[in-house]
Amino acid sequence: MNEELKKKYHAKYTAAKQKGVKFWPDIIYKDLLVSFALFILLIGLAAFVGVAAEPKADPNDTAYIPRPEWYFLFLFEALKFVPGAIEWVGTALIPGIAVLALIALPFLDKNPSRYWKNRKIAISVMSVIVLGIVGLTIRAVITTPEQEETTLAGSIAEQVVQGQDLYSIYCAECHQPEGEGGEVVGVEGLEGTFIKPISSQDEMWTRTDQTLFNIIDMGQQDLGMPPYGLGYGGELQRAEIESIVTFMRYTWDERAEIPEDAIVGIPALVEGEVPSYEVHISAVAKRYCVSCHREGKENNEYLMGSYDEILNTGINAGKNVIAGDPDASYLMQTLHRQTVIGSDSNEIGAMPPSKDLKTEYIDMFARWIEAGMPETAAEAAALSTVAAPAEETAEP
Amino acid sequence: MFEKIFQWLDERLGLEAIYGAVLDRKVPKVNWWFTLGSASLFLFVMQGITGIFLTMYYVPSPDKAYDSIQYIMNGVAFGWLIRGIHHWGASLMVLIVFLHMLRTFFYGAYKYPREITWLTGSLLLLLTLGMGFTGYLLPWNQRAYWATTVGTEIAGTVPGIGDFILRALRGGSDLSAVTLARFFSAHIWLLPLGIVLLISVHMYLIIRLGISNVPGEDE
Amino acid sequence: MAKKSSSPNLSRRDFTKIVMSFLGSIMGAMVGVPIIGYVISPALKATEIDDWVSLGALDSYPIGSPKLFSFTRTKVNGWEQTTNSYGVFVVRKSESALNVYSNVCTHLSCRVNWNEEVAAYTCPCHDAQFGLNGEVLYGPPPRPMDEYEYTIEDGNILIHLTEA
Repeated sequence: MNEELKKKYHAKYTAAKQKGVKFWPDIIYKDLLVSFALFILLIGLAAFVGVAAEPKADPNDTAYIPRPEWYFLFLFEALKFVPGAIEWVGTALIPGIAVLALIALPFLDKNPSRYWKNRKIAISVMSVIVLGIVGLTIRAVITTPEQEETTLAGSIAEQVVQGQDLYSIYCAECHQPEGEGGEVVGVEGLEGTFIKPISSQDEMWTRTDQTLFNIIDMGQQDLGMPPYGLGYGGELQRAEIESIVTFMRYTWDERAEIPEDAIVGIPALVEGEVPSYEVHISAVAKRYCVSCHREGKENNEYLMGSYDEILNTGINAGKNVIAGDPDASYLMQTLHRQTVIGSDSNEIGAMPPSKDLKTEYIDMFARWIEAGMPETAAEAAALSTVAAPAEETAEP
Repeated sequence: MFEKIFQWLDERLGLEAIYGAVLDRKVPKVNWWFTLGSASLFLFVMQGITGIFLTMYYVPSPDKAYDSIQYIMNGVAFGWLIRGIHHWGASLMVLIVFLHMLRTFFYGAYKYPREITWLTGSLLLLLTLGMGFTGYLLPWNQRAYWATTVGTEIAGTVPGIGDFILRALRGGSDLSAVTLARFFSAHIWLLPLGIVLLISVHMYLIIRLGISNVPGEDE
Repeated sequence: MAKKSSSPNLSRRDFTKIVMSFLGSIMGAMVGVPIIGYVISPALKATEIDDWVSLGALDSYPIGSPKLFSFTRTKVNGWEQTTNSYGVFVVRKSESALNVYSNVCTHLSCRVNWNEEVAAYTCPCHDAQFGLNGEVLYGPPPRPMDEYEYTIEDGNILIHLTEA
């Protein structure tokens, strides 16, 4: 830019200033309004959208689809189009040139005009770049497959609850619902193995969380315990194993104070009350049955993971639970440890295989079948002769 | 009384002179697009405030980072708000700073005499992206872990010195506790320091040169 | 924006000042108040302990001289489990009578040790000394050593650990 043009610019700018406004209060007023609007937007986003919960870093979880934050998506997407042999052109050369060009822009663009009509080249180049960035970002968003749902445990109380559920499904089969161990019954390959208790003081005081984690993660093959970590061929994510460990620590280690909201009991029934799947049966089934009665286990194809499954699955479907007739239902007969001959003329063992279910839970199943297996609490309440006790007033 | 205190301070600090030079000056009449710069500054200050308070509970270690953030979200009063503002503020800041850059570009405001203002501004845009990149490793969640793996791997593809850059970024060849610690340090010390210094220069230049005007057809 | 008046600049300025202080205080309050709650919230949660702790068999404690027993309790503090160590001195007076003292100095919570030579619990911090029965013999402690309530069940000593 030569001296003459500089002079001309200064004259123009001085004129613009003459016609202009004061920085305070005019400019500041506008700035303030915009900043305040952004502030309200931020509070709104924080309060009503929040921060999406993400699972903890887990290098072994291959189901996770990695994506950067939205402002790096265009770069991420652009790399899909760069052939591997010249990878560095896309990752280093082009971004490097772009950054340098951005910084040095005033020295590259020698055109003295400021009005957009007189800067066709510069405006076109920038527009193409911006459209490219926006286009790549949109393409990246569209082509990203949906993330698989993972359950996330948050606070220690939530972890204990989640850990309890996972323990019932994956561990209770051999270690028993309270970690008491004993002889394994009805588990393929481990039939008759004697398992020591894992909830004892000896166990809990001498094993750190890390040790417990490793045992679940990698298993102890010599003792017959298979690995459960995804990285070792199991099905549990790191966060899930951590929840199980947290559950064990806070439930069985007397030195650890369990957070109050982490204690989940199975609600007791009062005289005349009809249990529902939603409130009672699902809780009992989850803790005592699902560990074997789920996909991939030897269970005569009888699954107990959901309402439908309990009613309609298995090679003896239709006879397992018979509405209004608990005595004829196979489920009740096995709970009462009676011999049952299934439709393939094989004997169905007593359930749960190693020891009796608590009488109150057997009674719960009986009342449920008697009433015709209500699914929701509302349906059950309609069948009850008394109102269900409110949780707080369940005192004797 | 106030008059006296003000006189005493003004005599020593030169408050009137600052007021005249910084606030009470004539500037060209401009439109709403010219508020994006101050909006960027406002967001930076918000990020600074919320960030400082997040470090009160956050622990930069792979064992505890995730748990400490869970605690901030669920255990501490208003932790969800502080983190929510910081999280969304980051996205908003990248967006606003980028729009500010576009506004400057389309009005040709980077031309004489404001070349250095542009230079510091473009560095500020890069540092803002740097803040984003170092910031989202900190929760040590899946997104953080994989984005950082890929991001540092990208730096590792530079011909010749790529492996060295990768190890320098990660503090070793693996993504580890060392990586987390140095990203944390960069996120709360190095990059903000750079941003503050550059903002100072940027603002000095804006006050010295005045804000640019909306160019007319003959410019 | 601002209404025209005899001195437009002044009224405009005042108007901006009012809006500015109004919006500024809204923002200040909406961030400031939550931040105060955020900072002090761990101080508002007191974790309670109310537990009976076994000190082992009564017979394992000698009559006449104090014996230290150490144990731990775990609490949740924020994102971590804090393991607190406790030490108690069991002083058995006779077959069935005993006293259980905390080894935490009542002055500033250093841990006292039993010193056989001077027949006193001595504190390593400010040279305090407590007698066999917890009374202050020397130094700055404001009160005798803290004592635990105990019971004996099946020959085991249980002490009542409370913390509020």
